[in-house]
Amino acid sequence: MNHSIARLTWVNVRKDLRLEWRSRDVLNSMLFFALLVVVIFSFAFDPSVEESRRMAGGLFWTAFLFSTVMALNQSWARELRNGVLDAYRVSPSPSEALFLGKVIGNFLLVLLLECLMAPLFVIFYNLSSVGPVWQLGVVFLLGTWALVVNGTFFAAMSIRTRNRELMLPLLLLPISIPAVASMVLATTNVLTGESSPVLQMKFLAVYCVVFTTACFLLFDTVLNAE
Amino acid sequence: MRGLSLELEQGRFYVLRGENGAGKSTLLRMIAGLNEPTEGHIFIYGIKNKEALEHIGYMAHAPLLYEEFSAMENLRFFAQLYGISSDQPLIQALERVGLDPKLERRVGQYSQGMRQRLSLARAIFHSPRLLLLDEPFSNVDPDSAAAIAKLLAGMRDEGKTIVLVTHQIGLLSSVADEYILLSHGQLVERGAMQRVTA
Amino acid sequence: MKSKLFFLWSLITVGLLAYAVYEAAFVAPMEATMFDAQRIFYYHVPAAATAFSLFIVNCIASIIYLATRSQWADALAVTGAEVGVVFCGVVLITGPIWARYAWGTFWVWDARLTTTLLLWLLYVSYLILRRSSEAGSTSVLAASLAIFASLDIPIVYMSNRWFRTNHPQPVIFNDGLDPKMKLILMWNVFAFMALGILIAWFRYDLERLAQSINAAHIRKAARGGFAALLPGMFLFQVSGHWPPIRYFHAGAIAAWAIYLGYILILFRKFAGLKKEEAELRG
Repeated sequence: MNHSIARLTWVNVRKDLRLEWRSRDVLNSMLFFALLVVVIFSFAFDPSVEESRRMAGGLFWTAFLFSTVMALNQSWARELRNGVLDAYRVSPSPSEALFLGKVIGNFLLVLLLECLMAPLFVIFYNLSSVGPVWQLGVVFLLGTWALVVNGTFFAAMSIRTRNRELMLPLLLLPISIPAVASMVLATTNVLTGESSPVLQMKFLAVYCVVFTTACFLLFDTVLNAE
Repeated sequence: MRGLSLELEQGRFYVLRGENGAGKSTLLRMIAGLNEPTEGHIFIYGIKNKEALEHIGYMAHAPLLYEEFSAMENLRFFAQLYGISSDQPLIQALERVGLDPKLERRVGQYSQGMRQRLSLARAIFHSPRLLLLDEPFSNVDPDSAAAIAKLLAGMRDEGKTIVLVTHQIGLLSSVADEYILLSHGQLVERGAMQRVTA
Repeated sequence: MKSKLFFLWSLITVGLLAYAVYEAAFVAPMEATMFDAQRIFYYHVPAAATAFSLFIVNCIASIIYLATRSQWADALAVTGAEVGVVFCGVVLITGPIWARYAWGTFWVWDARLTTTLLLWLLYVSYLILRRSSEAGSTSVLAASLAIFASLDIPIVYMSNRWFRTNHPQPVIFNDGLDPKMKLILMWNVFAFMALGILIAWFRYDLERLAQSINAAHIRKAARGGFAALLPGMFLFQVSGHWPPIRYFHAGAIAAWAIYLGYILILFRKFAGLKKEEAELRG
């Protein structure tokens, strides 16, 4: 059973990546949206180098949160478009594989966005980190997973609501507040070098484990809530 | 659904009839496991329906296909969901419905008739014992419709059970075995097909 | 529905409240540093205790619902959430009024305030989900969300440990609190919990009635939840330079406005549902 979930997850990830590559519509618009957000934030907040280290964490994660919500909003769009979701539900394939496949696919997409946005932030804000940069890498990975796993889950929930695009941020943001607070604090700690981000990283790790488990266990229920 | 209790025999071709909103699609979805009955159970060949999914082939109003993929790519993906890794059953299914397996065109550019056929291929490639079809003839030209009807008759002769929802009774009056009439979620009548006038 | 037991409980509640409020306002000893404004403590803390208890009820009811799909569990879940949001709203309004006097600012991002705000946000999103979801999927989706919310609570509480807080440290469980104050606080907790149970009882009956006549109207009760927060607008009138007792009164007015406002909304829903029921029978 576990073998098949792993295998089918991989099948789903490959399918999503291929679909994405075929149309590339989401990717292009997402990248451009991310760029716009960074530019707007840079216009709106124009700090000096010393201040920028303090603010960059909060600014980056806020900008990133917006972009992620936009990306996640359409994550199930292709499955919904022609009712493919029903075909999946009628197959003997476990729905957890569908979920994990989606999460990983979204994770890769969002990571790509980060790779675009982070350097831009560094450029616009003249950032240089006092603390070790590899720690930032860990924070980014954990933080991204935290947002994407819950976001994919709530996007699936939003399928059965009236204002689909509005429901996702409405559900995702309150739950993600502790994670976002940690990410911002950790990023600021690393950039300013004032204290260690290890506590926040542990917190993020726990958060990821708890919510990934919850999503995994409840996805089937939510998918079949008819 | 209001207190519906139904028993269907293997290897028979059933047509679900009734006015709009009678519950035909809902019943089909319940058998397929997509809708949960508030009370009661559904068994397929003695197994609970949710555990017998590999024996079910389902075709809905919507095509249930990815627009960006070609026919084979779509089928290959769904084949993986059923644990089928060979292309053979897929090619056979496509040929049976009258589509070219080598066609590279994306489904998004298909005509409605082609989409319906591909959707049917998706429902049958894993050789299910039970076929559930919701309006398979809608928006399909008469020739394709006749071909599909003949195909379904052939499948019934192979021993598969078919439950089909349609308003176009005329097409099926010579191939279907029994009709089941629903109204307001209740079973009103059922009987042999020959009695129905087109 | 308005059973004898319910009526009896209303009497008990009114009695308890009258006693507790009197004790808090007039009998409790004056606090050394915050004077009369500290008396807000006597309705702020009970509101918090009631709100948290109601949210726990929601959490347990949601789990039961997912396991058994019983309608009563679903009714209990929405009751816990909605009435909890009302009481939590009271906490979020009376707290800043007190803070304005005690610390000079309305709001600080300390751990406990943040947790309470977060809880309120989570459960408002729960209520909105209930309103916006397709009929038939509402209960299941909401119950899943409730489980997520309950997972979040200990997580936020854990982050409690890592932030400095200028929220008054829990004085209930050590000797920092005058025993007489402790006693009066306990009475107030009982009294407000009784009020919470009373209102929840009413709301639960409403939900069961709505379920029986399959009414979708009950969803609109969530809108009322927001209206109950409108008294919050008058927060801005609260200056930093009043005599201490005025903070106590301001907070009390705000709290009771919210409680009574919500009860009124429930009565209106009740009237509407009864009418609908009569139409269906007749």
